[in-house]
Amino acid sequence: MYNKDSIGKRIAFWIITAIILLVVLGPLLWVYLTAFKPAQDIFTGQLSQQFMFTPTLENFDRLFNQFPFFQNLLNTLIVSVVSTIFVMIIAVPAAYSFARWNTGGGHLLFVTISTRMFPAVVAALPFFIVFRNLGLLDTRTALVLLYMYFNVSFATFLLYGFFRDVPAELEQAALIDGYGRFNIFRRIVIPLILPGIATTSVFCLIWSWNEFLFAFLFTRNAAKTVTVLISSFWGSIDIQYGTMAAGAAISILPTLIAAWFMQRYIVRGLTFGAVKG
Amino acid sequence: MSTTKNDDVTINNVDLGRKPSVWEVLSSEKYFKWMLIIPLLLVLLVFMIYPLIYSIFNSFFDADLSGRVAVGLKNYKDMLRDTDFWIPLRRTAVVTVVCIVSEILIGLGIATLWNRNFKGENVIRGLILLPLLVAPLILSIVWNFLLEYDIGFINQFLAAIGIGRVKWWAPSGALFTICGITVWQWFPFSASVLLAGLKSLPKDTFEAAQVDGAKGWQVFRKLTLPMLTPLIMIIVLLRTMWLIRLFDPLYGTTRGAVNTELLDWMVYRTSFVYFDVGYGSTLAIMSLYLTIIIAALMYRQLIKALDASK
Repeated sequence: MYNKDSIGKRIAFWIITAIILLVVLGPLLWVYLTAFKPAQDIFTGQLSQQFMFTPTLENFDRLFNQFPFFQNLLNTLIVSVVSTIFVMIIAVPAAYSFARWNTGGGHLLFVTISTRMFPAVVAALPFFIVFRNLGLLDTRTALVLLYMYFNVSFATFLLYGFFRDVPAELEQAALIDGYGRFNIFRRIVIPLILPGIATTSVFCLIWSWNEFLFAFLFTRNAAKTVTVLISSFWGSIDIQYGTMAAGAAISILPTLIAAWFMQRYIVRGLTFGAVKG
Repeated sequence: MSTTKNDDVTINNVDLGRKPSVWEVLSSEKYFKWMLIIPLLLVLLVFMIYPLIYSIFNSFFDADLSGRVAVGLKNYKDMLRDTDFWIPLRRTAVVTVVCIVSEILIGLGIATLWNRNFKGENVIRGLILLPLLVAPLILSIVWNFLLEYDIGFINQFLAAIGIGRVKWWAPSGALFTICGITVWQWFPFSASVLLAGLKSLPKDTFEAAQVDGAKGWQVFRKLTLPMLTPLIMIIVLLRTMWLIRLFDPLYGTTRGAVNTELLDWMVYRTSFVYFDVGYGSTLAIMSLYLTIIIAALMYRQLIKALDASK
């Protein structure tokens, strides 16, 4: 039915589609363009120079040599990975329990998901005071704990959707064969939802990687993350746009790659599994 | 209490002929489901219930980081009289409505446009999802740079095509610039959800409608839109919850200046810039109540819409 479209309609379709893509991807491409741009071309008033310039690595050079960028990247990586491991250890069994037995009659699951409505600022102040008393401010431990709290309800809910797709008959067959519940969980159910575990883990990794408010409030130097470093480039007296772009270019690269491979799951993940895109 | 011998030794219908170990009891049919969620319950207790109670407690005190004095409901009374509270609250409402309406309209448009088979369909649908997983803070700083008055690309482009430079961060328009950045990041979300919805609609219903002579607009209003309602409700619900606490785009652009202070920015400023812990807690609790009330109201509508669509 669509092949009957006239040439004019088809051209209009492709023009609009191209504009949509340009609007969505333009700013992302701009980051990479700016990252390789020499300083004098960044601060030019000339439109032509925005595109015609001799690419340089000076921004990356400054980023690594004048700022603790590598250290901050390492902090971000460690905090994201460790918190995600904790989240999965807690969320996988809980989601299985909710999906198989509806533990707590739906109320517990609702309480779990409601933590995601929680404004981060509500939790920030109590934690700030506790962490200060425990001497945990500006440590990676503090961020690991906060991100664990931040992601665990989401992970439970998303995994819940994956567990519900596992047919209960398989488990009943194993029960009759004399398997204990724990062995069924470990040997039969977990292998079946490995794709779900992978998807959920990537989401948790990305959110920890991107998080700003907690990282900004709870770290100063030692545990500073990349988003906090990049935020500091703007607002200083001479704004370091080139360095900022170089930092952004590196730090968004993993999420762009992940987003590309995760496309099938992004809609499902962002709607907590309500829409299977 | 009398327990028969049989109760002690039967786990998962297997007669062990001895007293079961702790592990065997925990992984039995009766206790296993509870054992699985204990870690989650502990985390929720420590990380959700504790801050909540602590904040409610603090909201009845005049407190800073060094000490506190009980003041009863003073913080709540102050808040209701504080124009510094009502203005950010109203701005938050404006941002939430403007962003959600724009995102859904743009999303509907794109979903309708792409609801067909075309070359490179999957690649294009994948490409527009890219901004969704990039840090909002970084994207807002990038936009701040692009919208800079003199050296920003957008203004240079607008000047070159004769429209002229725009003061994006003027007090009258800065809030809408922030809305624009937010909509830019999130319209791919509503577009993708609605496109997934359109693709899953039964084709024969539409063919039947066409045979009956229904026009494009009628089909959309009477057929497509009602079927998409549950999905639109999901988008509205989720986006409201996220937009009420918009923070990162403010930090990346105006930092709450030039008439852009929103609710959560005010909480942040009161608690972490002035360290007025008592009042900050009061505002935080209000922000939470607001989210819960709105979410609960919309959740009910969503359930209704889901029932109606069945």
